[in-house]
Amino acid sequence: MEVLRGLRYVTYLIFHPFNGFWDLKHEKKGNLGSALVIVALLSITYILRRQATGFIFNTVNLLELNILVEIISVVLPFMLWCISNWCLTTLMDGEGSFKDIIITSAYALTPLILINLPMILVSNVITVDEGAFYYFFISLSTVWAAALMLVGTSVVHQYSMTKAFITCICIIVGVGLIIFIGLLFFSLLQQMFWFAWTVFQEISLRF
Amino acid sequence: MKLRKYLICTVLISVLLTTTAFAEIPYSSYTYDYWGNPVPAPAPYVPTRIVEGTTLGIGDFNNANDLFVSPAGKIYVADTGNNRIVVLNDQWEVERIVDSFVMNGEEQTFNAPQGVFITDAEHLYVADTGNGRVVELDEDGNLVRVIGKPVNEIIPENFEYKPTALVVDRAQRLYVVATGVNQGLMEFDSEGNFRTYMGAPRVSVNMYQYFIRLFYTEEMLDRTTDFVPTEYNNIRMDEDGFIYVTTSTISVYAIQGAISGRSTDDRVSPVRKLNPTGKDILRRRGYFPPVGDVQFFSRGYAEGGQSLLVDVCADKYGIYSVLDNKRGRIFTYDGDSNILFIFGGKGNRLGTFNNPVAFDKVGENFIVLDKSVSGQGQITVFEPTDYGRLVLQAVYYHNEGKYDEATACWEEVLKYNANSELAYIGMGKTALDQDEFYTAMKYFRLGNKRDYYSKAFKLYRKEVLSRYFGVIVAVILILSVGLYIRAKRKGRREVVA
Repeated sequence: MEVLRGLRYVTYLIFHPFNGFWDLKHEKKGNLGSALVIVALLSITYILRRQATGFIFNTVNLLELNILVEIISVVLPFMLWCISNWCLTTLMDGEGSFKDIIITSAYALTPLILINLPMILVSNVITVDEGAFYYFFISLSTVWAAALMLVGTSVVHQYSMTKAFITCICIIVGVGLIIFIGLLFFSLLQQMFWFAWTVFQEISLRF
Repeated sequence: MKLRKYLICTVLISVLLTTTAFAEIPYSSYTYDYWGNPVPAPAPYVPTRIVEGTTLGIGDFNNANDLFVSPAGKIYVADTGNNRIVVLNDQWEVERIVDSFVMNGEEQTFNAPQGVFITDAEHLYVADTGNGRVVELDEDGNLVRVIGKPVNEIIPENFEYKPTALVVDRAQRLYVVATGVNQGLMEFDSEGNFRTYMGAPRVSVNMYQYFIRLFYTEEMLDRTTDFVPTEYNNIRMDEDGFIYVTTSTISVYAIQGAISGRSTDDRVSPVRKLNPTGKDILRRRGYFPPVGDVQFFSRGYAEGGQSLLVDVCADKYGIYSVLDNKRGRIFTYDGDSNILFIFGGKGNRLGTFNNPVAFDKVGENFIVLDKSVSGQGQITVFEPTDYGRLVLQAVYYHNEGKYDEATACWEEVLKYNANSELAYIGMGKTALDQDEFYTAMKYFRLGNKRDYYSKAFKLYRKEVLSRYFGVIVAVILILSVGLYIRAKRKGRREVVA
């Protein structure tokens, strides 16, 4: 029930972002449950978008479609964004807790679901000539979500717009850093493993 | 007793069947699908024989560089190392050997001739590379004229003129490819005077290169390579007088970029088709630009890197083939640059090459000149298979406007090769012509042809809409009436409240 109430709040939030995000945090209009549902729905939207978009607009090789990869490609960037957001804003006097950040970011992504889902249906009944219409709405959803993300960051941390904008850019750089360190870590781990493995082999073959 | 007879029969038959001799083809043929994956295809051509200098009784070829089939069907080989031109007839017998001619009363010889061209009147043009001249001889070997080093203020005095390949158009204009020239083709008028450079590829500089150069010092600029156009390495003319040129100097990154961007840009194309003004008019409507191999990672025996196209051969209706020197493959494209066939390979068996440098078509056969490792060259003859003939026939029919015959051919092609996207597209086009929109959509989908699918879908949508027009209108009417009544009731209730 709580989750449903949280989800219904989306319709208000996307049109009144400043008040919406404020109440989301302070009036407890949203909750973690509904945020996670939104992320799940977004994953489903992206899977459907790959699988069910009309042939004319679908440039993905369906033989190579992997649902797990699709889910990860939504959830991983989302989590990286939230973590990087939290890391940075704790240093930059942000007011939002990690939970607030997850809820705000998830709610900011809702235009992607609300526009892309119907566009999947639309893409099945339009031709190349009407493609401009399709691409317009797809980009609209992205721009809208990005704007909501910016407003959300500014409201939840009580930043000015300029500071929120700069923070957002820093967060994206931070995401890049996390990926870099992650890759470095795994690469080192792999090398260590192979080193241990070769030592083991060397010894076991010798005796 | 009967059973025994039967058994013996079966054994005999199976033995006979398994021992039936057939030449195994030493390469696997394939094409690339919409996604850029190589998909196996039946062999379009099979090697049938090898011709060597010794078997012809004229001694080994020595670094032979060019091969040309005249309009009369004679085969001319530029036997570079032996300073001669060998003329063979279609029975693979030596007709004559041209190694000298009489000029101003004295005998002259060739010096490392690298290219030949034969006109409709069977006049022989030789790119006499080492002597820096082009020699025209008539059908009996008498000298017609010699076209020497071009003289013009735009050509530096110390320019070393080394013509390697040439064509002559119907207006007797000469187009010459020479080593070290990157301004395009050298055009000579019918008098043999140098006119101009033509058909130079446009140079492309990307934003990054331009930006980074702003910060370079004079010294650094001197040390970096200039942005020069690519050099052409071979030239051919089709029956309509259009000139095909190939180049192998485009970088692997540029080619890779063109492939991943499905580019139609002529600047990154190793094969170009020039009209008489030097403009590239090659139609690049295939799923990938005509660059030879689309995937070229080095794996195992296969060398990595982009295909090095060294020769081109034009068929009718804009169908053309290119020869990849790196992996010894021949790529045949239709007039829209859709890939038709890929065959050939590197190796030492019949049908594979070590250093293929030139090829041409004799009738429906391909002949490929392989310089070999030692330079003692050999010519391999390839004959089309039923499959190869069918695909070509389908393309011919399509270009002749015989769509029904083309469809029949494509249907037959699909029996050989269910992966043929071209066949599906061909069948889809016919279905579209016959107003069978849904069938057309099905075929275009199989052929991954999105623009045509969209056309078929548009017509199909119209058909469905007009068929169910009554139902749709009825539903909309009922819905709007329902909504209206509901709104009214709600309004009344509010008034009451």
